[in-house]
Amino acid sequence: MITFEGAGKRHPDGTIAVEGLDLEVPTGRITVLVGPSGCGKTTLLRMVNRMVEPTSGRVLLDGTDVAQLEPAKLRRGIGYVIQQAGLFPHRKVIDNIATVPYLLGWDRKEARARAAELLELVGLAPETAKRYPFQLSGGQQQRVGVARALAADPPVLLMDEPFSAVDPVVRAGLQEELLRLQSELHKTVLFVTHDIEEAVRLGDQVVVLREHGRIAQLADPHTLLTTPADDGVAAFLGRDRGLRGLGLRPASAVALRPVGDGLRYGGWELALDDAGRPIGWIDRTAVSAELHPAAGFRPETDTLRTALDAVVLSPAGVAVALDGDGRATGTASRDAILAALTPTGATAVGGIDANADESSDTNVGTGPDANAGAKADAKTTVSTRKALAADGTGEAGTTDRVGGPEGSDGGR
Amino acid sequence: MDDEPIVRWYWIGDHLGYLGNLLADHAVIALLPVLIGLLLAVPLGLACARFPRLYQPLSAVFNIVYALPSLAVFVVLIPYTGLATQATVMIPLTFYALAVLLPTTVDGLHAVPDSVRQAATAMGYGPWHRLTTVELPAAVPYLIAGLRVAAVSSISLASVGALVGRGGLGYLFVDGFQRTFPTPIVAGIVLIAVLALAVDLLLVGARRLLAPWAVREKGAGS
Repeated sequence: MITFEGAGKRHPDGTIAVEGLDLEVPTGRITVLVGPSGCGKTTLLRMVNRMVEPTSGRVLLDGTDVAQLEPAKLRRGIGYVIQQAGLFPHRKVIDNIATVPYLLGWDRKEARARAAELLELVGLAPETAKRYPFQLSGGQQQRVGVARALAADPPVLLMDEPFSAVDPVVRAGLQEELLRLQSELHKTVLFVTHDIEEAVRLGDQVVVLREHGRIAQLADPHTLLTTPADDGVAAFLGRDRGLRGLGLRPASAVALRPVGDGLRYGGWELALDDAGRPIGWIDRTAVSAELHPAAGFRPETDTLRTALDAVVLSPAGVAVALDGDGRATGTASRDAILAALTPTGATAVGGIDANADESSDTNVGTGPDANAGAKADAKTTVSTRKALAADGTGEAGTTDRVGGPEGSDGGR
Repeated sequence: MDDEPIVRWYWIGDHLGYLGNLLADHAVIALLPVLIGLLLAVPLGLACARFPRLYQPLSAVFNIVYALPSLAVFVVLIPYTGLATQATVMIPLTFYALAVLLPTTVDGLHAVPDSVRQAATAMGYGPWHRLTTVELPAAVPYLIAGLRVAAVSSISLASVGALVGRGGLGYLFVDGFQRTFPTPIVAGIVLIAVLALAVDLLLVGARRLLAPWAVREKGAGS
């Protein structure tokens, strides 16, 4: 566990980076510090491995004040991942990963064997080992950076905007990879980002910071999205927080209409191939037998947000549930999906469905959390989807969202 | 010089051994100072990178030395080192090499991206350890680029030493002018060019070998 006890940092010129923060970072969980640039989040992160010394208060690592530990020794026991990866240009990937084991005096063979293990763990091909960093893509470099941080199996991992410099698709892959790794390794992770989307996706606990490292809110992602502490936090979260909250809830909550009960919805019929995979929707009122693409979701792995997305994309207003092989296992109408969004029952929020033969419109329980914002957000689905697409595509886009009424975005 | 041809081949044929000795002498006089310069530039450069305040005064001193005409320095040194000794020529050449190599070493050490430096610190490298195992190897392409300039200019400058009695191939120029006999002059020019080219190729090869990771990087020599 990492404990900040009134930890503050005042620069020699008198400017205050962090006023004095109290925070507990629980063992084995991911804690995300999120806030606009200049809120002191990186300063806080660096206090943990003494790359920044607090000018007031202290930072404890499992009860020991880090100021009492020798910096080099302390740092070898803490993994560190930064935005630009910071790989050594003159060392091959395998030796980059083995850096800390070498520093700890491991046998060269042993260190390289461990590095090869990690290369695989972070999803890189074995032949990558002999490349130099300049021969890798940004995403690959970042994977090597993560592998290097994990090489000596440190219990604590500090990550400073590690995925900010890669494009959104690669970033999503890296985030997924981190969550997968964490489910195996259970490290104590302190993660810094300015991207609230990333914070909510990765964090077990999210700490929203204002300028000078003041905590605006500390909560689990779901609570954060549904009940922001104040208008400032709500503004930072953005307009579509209700929708984003759906991204944290499993799509398995949607009540499906089995395939055997029919595939007709009003004038639309879903066509399946021989294997049971959807081919598309056919408009039975039209003269031509044109196929309209059928959007689907996987109830076992996807979130309610994906399910809602599928229903919005479908011309028939019906999302197709798929199994791992892409076969249709059932269908879910707009009503069925909206019913899953609210725990209070099937109210016709969308209200314009013509699903005469909809039969499985019962609510099977969407979990304990009532999402007050969901109704309103569902109506603005189309516009918010656009906003989501713009998310995180660049610094500019994200900073725009950050600049709330608090005027908290002072940096850029 | 009216009927004198540019090159009398028989003279070259008769003096192969002599030319070889001069070439070897020239190589030692020109290149040993570069080597010593390198051995001095690396620790000085590391010190300058570690304590940046050192760099300005040190580079000022070496720039002034570099500005001094070589012949004048040779003459000043003669009372201490004697006429026609290698040291008379090699001491100034060492300073010239150092004047080129110190800035390139420091530039090379500074060229390491900040993210690399921070990552190294965060993994538990101390300042000196990091300088020698991370920044110095990463500076190798810069060092070699500096060595190429220093070596070639040292090979050219060394011939001036012939005027104070020790200049390797430079002696051929003095000899040729005194006798109005161009053959040794041409031979000297060709041999100096060949020596410079060979050393340059050697350094390019060394770069491929020592810094294969830098092949595609720009701005650090080629």
